[in-house]
Amino acid sequence: MSEITLTINDKQVKGKEGDTVLEICQANGIDVPTLCHLDGLSDVGACRMCVVEIERERRPVPACTYPARDGLVVKTDTEQLEKYRRQMLELIFTERNHFCMFCEQSGDCELQKLAYRYQMDNVRYPYTFPSLPVDSLSDYLVIDHSRCVLCGRCIRVCSEIVASHTLDFGRRGWRTLVGADLEQPLSESSCVSCGACVQACPTGAIFSKVNLYKGKTDECQQITTVCPACGVGCELNVMVKDNNLVRIEAPRLTEPRGPLCPIGRFELLYQTPTRVISPLVRGKQGELKECSLDKATQVIADRLRKTEDGFAGIVSTRIPNETLSLFHKFIGEVVGSDWIDTRDGESYRIITEGIRQFQNKRKGLDIECPIEEILKADCIVIAGANPEETHPIIGALVRRAVSQRGAKLIVIHLSRDVFPLWTDLWLKPRAGSEGVLLNGLAKVLIDKGLVKQEKIPAELVSSLSQYKADEVNKATGIDKEKLELAAEIYGRAERGVIIYGEGLLERDDPNLVTAVLNLADLTGNWVGDRLRVISLKTGANSRGAWELGLAVKGIKQNKPKGLYLLLADEQEDEELLNWLEGIDFLVVQASYHSPATSMADVVLPSPIWAEREGKYVAMDGRVLELKQVLQPKEGLLQDQEILIEISKKLGRKLSSS
Amino acid sequence: MTKVKVATAWLDCCSGCHMSFLDLDEALIGLADVIEITASPITDIKEFSPVDVGIIEGAVGNLHDEEVAKRLRANCKILMVWGDCACFGGIVNMRNLFSAEEVLHRYYNTESTAKGSNIPSSEDLPPLITVKPINQVVKVDCYVPGCPPSSKAIHYALAELLEGRIPILPSEMMRFD
Repeated sequence: MSEITLTINDKQVKGKEGDTVLEICQANGIDVPTLCHLDGLSDVGACRMCVVEIERERRPVPACTYPARDGLVVKTDTEQLEKYRRQMLELIFTERNHFCMFCEQSGDCELQKLAYRYQMDNVRYPYTFPSLPVDSLSDYLVIDHSRCVLCGRCIRVCSEIVASHTLDFGRRGWRTLVGADLEQPLSESSCVSCGACVQACPTGAIFSKVNLYKGKTDECQQITTVCPACGVGCELNVMVKDNNLVRIEAPRLTEPRGPLCPIGRFELLYQTPTRVISPLVRGKQGELKECSLDKATQVIADRLRKTEDGFAGIVSTRIPNETLSLFHKFIGEVVGSDWIDTRDGESYRIITEGIRQFQNKRKGLDIECPIEEILKADCIVIAGANPEETHPIIGALVRRAVSQRGAKLIVIHLSRDVFPLWTDLWLKPRAGSEGVLLNGLAKVLIDKGLVKQEKIPAELVSSLSQYKADEVNKATGIDKEKLELAAEIYGRAERGVIIYGEGLLERDDPNLVTAVLNLADLTGNWVGDRLRVISLKTGANSRGAWELGLAVKGIKQNKPKGLYLLLADEQEDEELLNWLEGIDFLVVQASYHSPATSMADVVLPSPIWAEREGKYVAMDGRVLELKQVLQPKEGLLQDQEILIEISKKLGRKLSSS
Repeated sequence: MTKVKVATAWLDCCSGCHMSFLDLDEALIGLADVIEITASPITDIKEFSPVDVGIIEGAVGNLHDEEVAKRLRANCKILMVWGDCACFGGIVNMRNLFSAEEVLHRYYNTESTAKGSNIPSSEDLPPLITVKPINQVVKVDCYVPGCPPSSKAIHYALAELLEGRIPILPSEMMRFD
């Protein structure tokens, strides 16, 4: 890009070709008011607040859409421009029903801030008082069209960043309305409830029921931390007032990892059901009774002294590394057992074994690529996963690649509900035949010469020889043409990314993982020393726990006599509850009362995500910092402090170093 | 020294702006040395005589409001308005989304109302009209927005007037809520 020089407000400033006048102003610290502009989104010049005077232009032009040229002479702050801007504000205020005293957003509103800046103490035009609808049927979001300035930021963030394309303008002229899917209620539309529009909205037109009247940005402390909900590892900007969670925003909304999902933005704010505040111990009549921590830890210590073997530990992957390693030490050194696992340990064992088998290259989890590769892909294969459900941000990246980069999307899944609107090719194998399909695909790639590897290992070729098209068809129910089409699309792609998840992992077969890696390897889908393959990990710190060796040995095959379940604020599922049946002595350390705590012999309190701190390892290996944003409720101890207490009772010193 | 004569009125409003004025507390004592309040809801005098400064709180919501605004304007040299209702229409504006009939029906006849109440009717009662800010009925010289304006903002505006300047609130003193 060549450098250009402009004169702005009589000063020489530099920029580069391709910049807009607004970008150059902002880069040089020249203040130009904006309303419809949001960093990271395309510019449309809707609001006219950024009008500037440019020599030889007959009238003021919006700086946000005006391409800068070498030698331009620009004025941004003349009296006339300031008059126009105030006039624009007055027109915007009279166009709809903008009355701050009954708006939730007052104090956090960009339109209001501009009106203050331009000292708009009256309006010279008659108000129009349009009678406009409110859509409040969604679980999280409300659209109040009365407060809309038609800047289109919600529409652009919905299509350009979230790639949901739910919102758009409907109707014409002054009747224009922002609508979801041709004016459906949000709750019945394709809206993914990510709330990006709430954050993008400069006024109170789109707001969230969840944060309503909890506090203004100015009154809050803002802490940047990491989301505890899944393995993607999104950054969160958490706003806290008086030790209460007020609102969660994306610190970098318009960047690839920027948008949040409804869990990260909204669900984390709920603290239901009831918190475990006091330790509980099962009494003689079999009822759980509140007791002191001293007594609870004593009961556990007494029991651990008696138990010689058969004691195990299961830990939530929401727990940060520091606590995980202490828990590892606790089970290993204090309890004296090597029986330890994570909630999702089975996935780890399948993935790592699959990687080990893959041409015996021992790279471990580092063989997978960072999730940004999805955005660069020209073909994406989703195998046994539904990212929009389990990892919504991965879902957004896939939609972006498909809608903005024209990437082809192949879905291998039993259900049609995976990216139903975006799929180019849906392969539905019979349940359990996914391996045959993946290997059959590899064979077609080789047979059709679509492989990019110069030398294909002979053992691989011979092991694939059994997967002839009609055999594959017999096993999977997928016909030859479809299989060949899939091979064509994936094989000819330059950057094909495979994303796999629980649909494959629940088959308990590492060969499926190997087959996926083989496909990527055969087609030369390497980025440096990583393959364009991404496995979806469920826990925020799954990878951290796995790397610390907490999931090496599976424990679910044999039932232990005693179990220490560090559940924290994760929710238990039916499978775990069934498995817990019949365990002799059960300790559950959890943040919330749940069916699991009601089965326990001893219940210990645990902080929630917001009250904890430590290191997380996201699913693609980035190390992230979980920060404490709230003081623990009623002075609750941290998980590790309780583990240290129990160790003390057993005369053992447990230290976190 | 002759005192500056001030008359005030409240129209369709909650009287919060006048309360904010009374919240000037000890500053009122100083003001009392330089201004004289003639007609005002505070003095309970309703007939206007010529004054230097007229002050209106509230929007114009019925024909009576319109008449009061016009009479005060005719009797003052400078007209200042207080609060979002007078500046923009404010919270009173909400009823413009409905007809006067709907508003009265809602108020007197619906589930939230004591049984047996009726919409009062008398030729002495001024009919409701579309709510308007003051500047759509008479010329206004200066505005102090806020719901209500802080007593600081009111004090600033009065002090500017006493210094012979038409006040415009600085950005940091502006509030719409």
